Amino acid sequence: MSPALQKNDILQGTLSLLVLRTLASNKRLHGYAITTHIQRVSSDLLRVEEGSLYPALHRMEQLGWLRSEWGMTEKKREARFYSLTARGLKQLEQEQESWNRLTEGVGRVLRYA
Amino acid sequence: MSWLKRLANVVRTGKVERQIRRELEFHAAERADELRASGLSHEEAARRARVQLGNPLLQAERTRDVDLALWADGILRNLRHAVRSLLRAPGFTLTVIATLALGIGANTAVFSALDAVLLRPLPFPHADRLVRLVQTQETSSESGIAPVRLEEWNRLNSSLSAISGYFIEDVSETSGDLPEKVRRAIVTPRMLDVWGVSPARGRGFSDEEYRFGGPPAALISDRYWRSRLGSSPDVLRRSVRIGTVSVAIVGVMPASFRFPDREVDLWSPSPVDAPYAQSRQSTWYRGIGRLRAGVTLDQARADLAAVQARLAQQFPDPDRKIGVQLTSLKQEAVGGVGQSLWLLFGSVSVLLLIACTNIAALFLARGASRRQEIALRLSLGASRSAVAGLVLGETLLLALLGGGLGLLVAGFATAGLRSLGTELPRVDEIVVDARILVYCSASTLGVALLCGLLPAIRATRERAGVASGESRRTQVSGRQSLQWGLVGAQVALSVTLLAGAALLVRSFQELARVDPGFERSRVLSFRMSGNWAETADYPGLVARVDRAIDTLRALPGVEAAATTGWVLPGVPTEYESSFGLVEARSDADRRIVAELRVVSPEYFATMRIPLLEGERCERHSVGPRGTLLSQDVMVNRAFVARYLSDFPSAVGLHLERGEPGAREGASKPGRILGVVADAREQGIDREPAPTVYHCLNAPNPTPYFVLRTSAPPLGVVRAVRAKLKELEPQRSVYEIATLDEQIDAAYTMRRLLTLLLLLFSLSALSLACVGLYGTLSYAVGLRRREVGLRMALGALRGDIVRQFLGQGLRVVGLACAGGIALALALRRVMAGLLFGVSATDASTLALVVALVVVTAALASLMPAVRAARLDPMRVLRED
Repeated sequence: MSPALQKNDILQGTLSLLVLRTLASNKRLHGYAITTHIQRVSSDLLRVEEGSLYPALHRMEQLGWLRSEWGMTEKKREARFYSLTARGLKQLEQEQESWNRLTEGVGRVLRYA
Repeated sequence: MSWLKRLANVVRTGKVERQIRRELEFHAAERADELRASGLSHEEAARRARVQLGNPLLQAERTRDVDLALWADGILRNLRHAVRSLLRAPGFTLTVIATLALGIGANTAVFSALDAVLLRPLPFPHADRLVRLVQTQETSSESGIAPVRLEEWNRLNSSLSAISGYFIEDVSETSGDLPEKVRRAIVTPRMLDVWGVSPARGRGFSDEEYRFGGPPAALISDRYWRSRLGSSPDVLRRSVRIGTVSVAIVGVMPASFRFPDREVDLWSPSPVDAPYAQSRQSTWYRGIGRLRAGVTLDQARADLAAVQARLAQQFPDPDRKIGVQLTSLKQEAVGGVGQSLWLLFGSVSVLLLIACTNIAALFLARGASRRQEIALRLSLGASRSAVAGLVLGETLLLALLGGGLGLLVAGFATAGLRSLGTELPRVDEIVVDARILVYCSASTLGVALLCGLLPAIRATRERAGVASGESRRTQVSGRQSLQWGLVGAQVALSVTLLAGAALLVRSFQELARVDPGFERSRVLSFRMSGNWAETADYPGLVARVDRAIDTLRALPGVEAAATTGWVLPGVPTEYESSFGLVEARSDADRRIVAELRVVSPEYFATMRIPLLEGERCERHSVGPRGTLLSQDVMVNRAFVARYLSDFPSAVGLHLERGEPGAREGASKPGRILGVVADAREQGIDREPAPTVYHCLNAPNPTPYFVLRTSAPPLGVVRAVRAKLKELEPQRSVYEIATLDEQIDAAYTMRRLLTLLLLLFSLSALSLACVGLYGTLSYAVGLRRREVGLRMALGALRGDIVRQFLGQGLRVVGLACAGGIALALALRRVMAGLLFGVSATDASTLALVVALVVVTAALASLMPAVRAARLDPMRVLRED
């Protein structure tokens, strides 16, 4: 990765949080839909790089947070659909919690330091 | 489950790759649709989609790598991180690696010795079936077996597939300009069957060669073949010349065959049908046998005892009084070094444990200073196991480097052990090979876990979120009880090690201080080759030795000359024999068991053992078969004190050798001519035993010569050699050394053990002190603000020093108590290795504690003083 983070790049470690959150509200999505969803919901503030998405998806599947299956899209294309497991849901709660703390902490620092 | 899946992925690489490719193709297609919708041409849209996705193959590879090597990837990433973080602290890193290299290296080296000597089987096929056979007699500690009896045992038993016997003699090889000493083992039939070894070249002995009057033949050792015959390929057509007989070489044994000992140059057959080999009284052979498959040692013992019982009925005299003993050959070969080796291995393992503890403490301290980093990682989504992996990655890397270097250290150390530990049985089997490599790797991994586990667990307890990186401003002091516990364990273990080492050192001091009862300095000892055939003309043998003694005595610089039959004074041996006291008032008092030593009459003057009573013995005349025509003896004071205290004087009493009528000529009782002072003949670490001295200059063809010299003894060696060459041109002179050297050599193992244990325990102490220093410095660092505050409020520098010094010494005090308690609990480990000092010797233990406390105080003083030197104002303004 380039040394300087680009504006839209997603902070490492938060990608999984975003993916988990996306799948929590959408049940069953393929990789492309996950990228478009994140982009749309964040009003184009966040852009998921494909180069990190698929490795991340596979890793999360290995960790048992996601499960995947092949299926057909509306345009009759074959795609791999991902959905959240119970373990993934728990992980989401944890990551959300620590994210909240982080932002709160950073926010305080920015306000008072 | 997930690893199963991962494994499946490895096996089905092709399928995974296809799936990933399909997934990415799909992604590109969707992207292209979108781009087309925004107005791009069909081609342009497809191109951009691809570019955006990156090289699809590369992408597929990357994604697949995650599947295949999530673990490997994690480990690699952790190692990469470890390299970076360790490079940032090169001093720390180098210290830890060096400590581990020495710790693992020393441990591996000692283990390789333990493995070679104790754990591995002897280097023969089915070596666990090899047994030593010993003939026991009530009347003497003579354990050799008569040739006829050996053959009967072999024929009548049903539990051993073969029994064979041998003895060793030093003879001269006379084909060269100067006679050279060679060591020959005389072996009975079936030798190669028992060992399960065949010659590397040539053949074993034929039946004809084993017969009396058959052609002389020899098997030679690989070493002899290489060093003296230049690895000559036509060796089987050559011969050696032993004394005046030319002996054909029929074969070369493999290099691994080193039995009866590694010094043996050649093996020759012993004719069991020789007329001189028919006596049931002779004690020639050391017996060796091979158990049949599936037969236990106990079964064989019972079987052989039954065989001997039958022989006792058939030949009541002497077989009624003879028994048979079987021991595993390995056990016999290894003998008493087991205890020393386990002790060494134990201490070197404790040392490694201390090193690990030390490193774990260092990591804990480092971990504490990295709390923010870890907290940040956790809050950014790093899993706890990933954080633990980071710490373990560092210790694993350090352990791998340390282990690699440790293997080198072990290589050098085993080489050193091979050259120093010559007294150790099987020492030349000590090598660093695949087994040792496995051991070293296992201990390296163990070390990585030991060093890393505690810090790793500690790291995962860190709370996520920035909050845990809270300012240390408010934190007065952590107690770091874990760190202090580790320091205490280190100090305690090094106290235990030091106690062991100190006791051994004390033993050595006592040993050097003890008066052996003879003068061990300025004595030269050597032997002159001979062979057992000479005993056929015993008077000739005795006359030859007398002639040599007289010639040597006349040399300038030689004050006295004598011979001693089997062993040198002060070198540990035991040779008990039983005697009967003729003047005894009751049968119960008759039987006397005492050490028997056979020496020439000049021996007492040469060794400066004073005569207390009576007179010295004279040179005896001998009968044709080596029997003394006079049985007159000398005894020592311990003998008189133990057995003859009822008599006004020992001089003039009579002793008979063994049981009445047991041997030809033995029935003639001998008169006690004189009483000499006690001497520690059986080893300078043993109390003098009741001893009977027979005055005979050559109980065997190669007695030890001892010369008392007026100047340092090695100065007369040239003159001695020249004179003996003139007198006995066919004989070689060997084992030339001072008596001091010979006695010291007998205690080499003990010295080596002491030295190594001392080295280990001092290393342990210095490691423990480094740990103490580090932990206290760390504590001082954490409490800077508190110290500053207190000083600003008027605390004196002395109070601060006392506070930190006290903190260190409290732990040290507890640790010393623990260490001493452990040493006391382990005192049985040391028993038998000590001399003149008990394993609970209070002064030694007190000295150890004092040494540890002083060293520890010095180690704690520096951080304590540094704390007291803090400038309160600067400290309070910090942060």
